[in-house]
Amino acid sequence: MTNALLFKEWKKTKWFVIGAFIVGAALLTYIFLRLGRSFRMVGMEHLWDVVINRDQFLLRELKYFPLAAGIAIAFSQFVPEVIQKRIKLSLHLPLSNKRVVFTMMGYGLSVLSLVYLLHILAILIFMGVHFPLEFIISALYTLAPWYVAGLMAYVLLAWICLEPSWKRRIFNALIMFGVLQLCFLSDFPGAYAFILFAVILLPIYILPFGYRSVERFKIGIQD
Amino acid sequence: MQPIVECKNLTHYYGNRCIYENLNFEIPQGRILGLLGKNGTGKTTTINILNGYLKPRSGECLMFGESSAKLSPATKQKVGLLIEGHVQYSFMNISEIEKFYSAFYPKWKKEAYYELMKLLKIDPKQQISRMSCGQKSQVALGLILAQDPELLILDDFSMGLDPGYRMLFVDYLSEYAKAENKTVFVTSHIIQDMERLIDDCLIMDYGKIVTQKPIEELLNTFKRFKFKSQSSGLLNDLQEIYHPVSIKENTEAYSFMTKNEMEVLLNKNNIQHGRITEESLSLEEAFIGLTGKY
Repeated sequence: MTNALLFKEWKKTKWFVIGAFIVGAALLTYIFLRLGRSFRMVGMEHLWDVVINRDQFLLRELKYFPLAAGIAIAFSQFVPEVIQKRIKLSLHLPLSNKRVVFTMMGYGLSVLSLVYLLHILAILIFMGVHFPLEFIISALYTLAPWYVAGLMAYVLLAWICLEPSWKRRIFNALIMFGVLQLCFLSDFPGAYAFILFAVILLPIYILPFGYRSVERFKIGIQD
Repeated sequence: MQPIVECKNLTHYYGNRCIYENLNFEIPQGRILGLLGKNGTGKTTTINILNGYLKPRSGECLMFGESSAKLSPATKQKVGLLIEGHVQYSFMNISEIEKFYSAFYPKWKKEAYYELMKLLKIDPKQQISRMSCGQKSQVALGLILAQDPELLILDDFSMGLDPGYRMLFVDYLSEYAKAENKTVFVTSHIIQDMERLIDDCLIMDYGKIVTQKPIEELLNTFKRFKFKSQSSGLLNDLQEIYHPVSIKENTEAYSFMTKNEMEVLLNKNNIQHGRITEESLSLEEAFIGLTGKY
C-alpha cells in the first residue's frame, strides 16, 4: 500500500523533481565554470584573500535554488490533491489519515533531500579539490540555512495547500513568509554557526502543521 | 440484523441556515436508498457527513457500526465512494489507476474494471484528464466495481453525463448491486435515472425531510388529482394536500389520500369541485408533487 501511495506521489511530481535536478545541475555547472575562470584569471591566492579577508561567499548564486525547488515540489504534489477536493480520495483509502498524510509528506521531503544531497555532494567534491577543510566547513554553515529553507518551504506550502479555509491560507502564507526570513537573515560566511542546530530542527517542528489542516478539512471547515 | 448505515438525529447548519434537523434514516443490507432533493437541499452535506468529511452540528452516522467521523481502515475497505463529478486521480492513465487501487483492496476484481473499459474503446495508456466526462464516469464506476465493496456511496452520479452514459451507468450499477446483494446509497438531481435503480427513497426539501418510503409504496400511494374548482385557494390550507396548482379553474393537487378520501376532504372544507380524476405518477412527477415546482 505504501508503494502504491509513493507511486501516486511520483506520478504527480516526477517532472518537477527531474526539473529541480536539472536546474540544480545547470546552476552548479555555471558556478563551477565561473569559479574555474576566476582561478585562471586572478589566481587562487586572490580568491582565498577575497573569501578569508573580505568575507565574500563564492556560492551566492545558490541562495534561492533550494527554496524554489521546495516550493515547486510542494506545489506539484499538493495542488492536484486539493483541486476538486481530490484529497477526499486519498483520505478514503483504507489507511489511517495520519499514515496517508505523513507518507505523502515523507515522500516529498525524501525526494527534495535527495536532490539537495546530490547538490551538496557535487559542491563538496569541487571544493575539496580547490579549498582547505576550514573553508569547506564555513561554506556548509552558510549553505545549510538555505537548504533548510527549502525543506521548510515544502512543509509550509503543503500546510497552505491542505488548509481548507482561504482566510486561514492567507494567514498561513504570512507565517510562511515570516518563518522563511529566519533562514535568510545573513549571507555572511558562517553567520549561522552558533544556531545551526536549531535551524536544522525547524522543519521537524512544523511537520505536523499539514496534518492539522487535514483534520480541519475532515470536520468540514470552509469559508 | 444491524443496518449497514444508520444516521441518528442529524442536524446541520451552515452559519444560520438550517440544512436539516433531526434527520434519521438507515439502510439495511442489500437495499438501494436514493436521496432525492433539489440543488442545495443537503444531499452532498449528508454524503460528506456519512464519509466523515463534515462534522454535523449534532447527531451521528454509523457505518458498519462505526462512527463515520473515525472510520477504521478495515471499514473504509468495505466502502466504495464516488465523489460528485466523478473525481479521480486524473494525472494517471486507466491502467495505472487500476494498478494503484488494486494494492489497497484484497478482493480486487481487475476483470470487472477492464470489462467496462472495453466499452469505452480507448487506449489503456489514455490519461484520465484527457477523457470526456462520460468516460471519466465509467472509469470511476469501473474502479468501484473492481473494489467490490459491501457499501457503495455515489454522490450525484448523473452530473455532467449525457443520457447514453447515464443509462449505461444505471444499468451496470443496478445489475451489479442486485446480483451481488450490495447496499447502495445514491444521490442525484436527475430523478428519472433513480426510478430504475432504487428500492427506497428519501426526499428532502429545504430544511426538512418530505418523505421516506420504499419507492413502490410511494408510487402506489401518492397520486395526482385533477378537478375543476373556483375556490382552489382554500386547498393551500389543507395539510393533506401537497402543492396545489390552479390555472383558471383547472386544479391539480397531490396527496397520499385515495380518491374517496379526497372527495370527503374537499366537501368537508366546502371546496366546490367538479369530477375528480386520479392519476398514478412516475417518480419524477411524485418528486415534483412533494417538493413543488419552485
